[in-house]
Amino acid sequence: MAKVYKQVPFAAIVPSPQTENEGMVTGNWRFLRPVVDKGQCTECKTCYIYCPDACVNWAKDDGISFNLKYCKGCGICSNVCPVGAIARVPELDFDE
Amino acid sequence: MPIKKRGTGLTAVADAWQLADIDVSASYPIRPYTAVMAELAKRIANGTMKCEMVHGEGEHAQFSIAHGASMAGARATTGTSGVGVTYAFETYSPIAGSRCPIQALIGDRTLDPPGDFGSEHTDCLTLRDNGWIYGWAQDAQEALDNSLMYFRIGEDPEIMLPQIVAMDGYFVTHIAQDYEMPDQEQVDKFLPKFNPKFRLDVNNPVIMGPQIEPEMGPPLEWDRHVVMNKVKGKIVEVTEEFGKIFGRKYAPFVEEYMTEDADMVYVLQGAHAVTCRSAIKYLREAGYKIGMCRIRWFRPFPDEALAQILPKFKVAGVVDTGTSYGAPCGGGVLSTEVKAAMSEVPGKPIIQSFTSGLGGETITHEEFFAMAEMMKQTLAAGKIIQSGTWVNFNDYHEGASQINAAKTEAAPSK
Repeated sequence: MAKVYKQVPFAAIVPSPQTENEGMVTGNWRFLRPVVDKGQCTECKTCYIYCPDACVNWAKDDGISFNLKYCKGCGICSNVCPVGAIARVPELDFDE
Repeated sequence: MPIKKRGTGLTAVADAWQLADIDVSASYPIRPYTAVMAELAKRIANGTMKCEMVHGEGEHAQFSIAHGASMAGARATTGTSGVGVTYAFETYSPIAGSRCPIQALIGDRTLDPPGDFGSEHTDCLTLRDNGWIYGWAQDAQEALDNSLMYFRIGEDPEIMLPQIVAMDGYFVTHIAQDYEMPDQEQVDKFLPKFNPKFRLDVNNPVIMGPQIEPEMGPPLEWDRHVVMNKVKGKIVEVTEEFGKIFGRKYAPFVEEYMTEDADMVYVLQGAHAVTCRSAIKYLREAGYKIGMCRIRWFRPFPDEALAQILPKFKVAGVVDTGTSYGAPCGGGVLSTEVKAAMSEVPGKPIIQSFTSGLGGETITHEEFFAMAEMMKQTLAAGKIIQSGTWVNFNDYHEGASQINAAKTEAAPSK
């Protein structure tokens, strides 16, 4: 039986903004997880600007959070944080 | 009115880019490409050309800048040479995959080490599998004309692929020649403004080049495969229209020279064709029934055209001006491609591989004569005597004196 491929638009160009795509979950690539210390975080959103995978979310009441389904653990957010509020914690330290 | 000019292959391409009214050009110096960037900078500074010029911090950045500009809907150009071509390698497949028809000029040059500034096709041939359309120009005029044709083909809404205007470093990029710069009105008629269907636009945002699932990959690669085959039809159409508008007619795929009654034929691409033609005149006087087939496109490879033309001959000597160490049959990339294209063709000639003109060395008349002599002996034997010949190194004649004797014999009137 022939394989069933997924149809893709021309050059994979898709409408934007598209922050969630179930086909692109890459969370298991990561071995270090970003964890934000909300006490230190100034909500400057530098991490939001720099994240190459648009994994940083910001909500008015909740502050900064990470969408771990797409986070590959590159550590850019942690490196650019001007106040050192983002730690990189080994994945094995977490139960889930 | 078209203007008669004297310039190099690089000024000719700068002229083409000026006439094409490019929006963005990304630059980074490396010889022999550098002169086109200097030429553009000069024209922008003195106000004869309007274009955004962005200087990258290296070739990888340079091609990425052109990629981004093209995504934003600009007619974008860039270019490089030698190890610059290989330094930018990561960018080639994404540019073709996101179907951005940027144009790059590659004034080719041998790869390091050591730093050899001479012309060789090896740099440009390394990216043959990345979905770019390209071929070699033999002189400044053809460089200019190819540039205009490549824009027209690559930007066609049915194609949308990047192109490389390749030319031999120094022989084409730096030697002053006479050429004709077409009229702006003619170019406007031939090459409409670039207007892509998709672009990065804040009013209609799209994502280009997203992460995809593995099951989505093959259909995208199939699209690129199909479109590359479609390019061939477009080449025929555009070459014909170019001839009508500008009055310069090119064979769409393979230029034949003195092939009418030839038994043997050189198959090559690029600027060495100029020397080859004059060598053939001497060889004809000496009684060799020999001609030349110059391949004008390398990707897509003109296999159908070769399948029609080459069976007319008994021996075809493919002259490679590049290397592919350990390649099958001891040849270079071009000979491997020609052999593959001819593999299932009935009545195909014996295909002999020659490697010459490496590191910027000129392929001399004597070397063409030596190749003709070897082809003649292959013809007489009816089979390949030696698979893969590096001219002046390991040809089957034993010792240089015999090669020299063959050269002298082949050129009585020189």
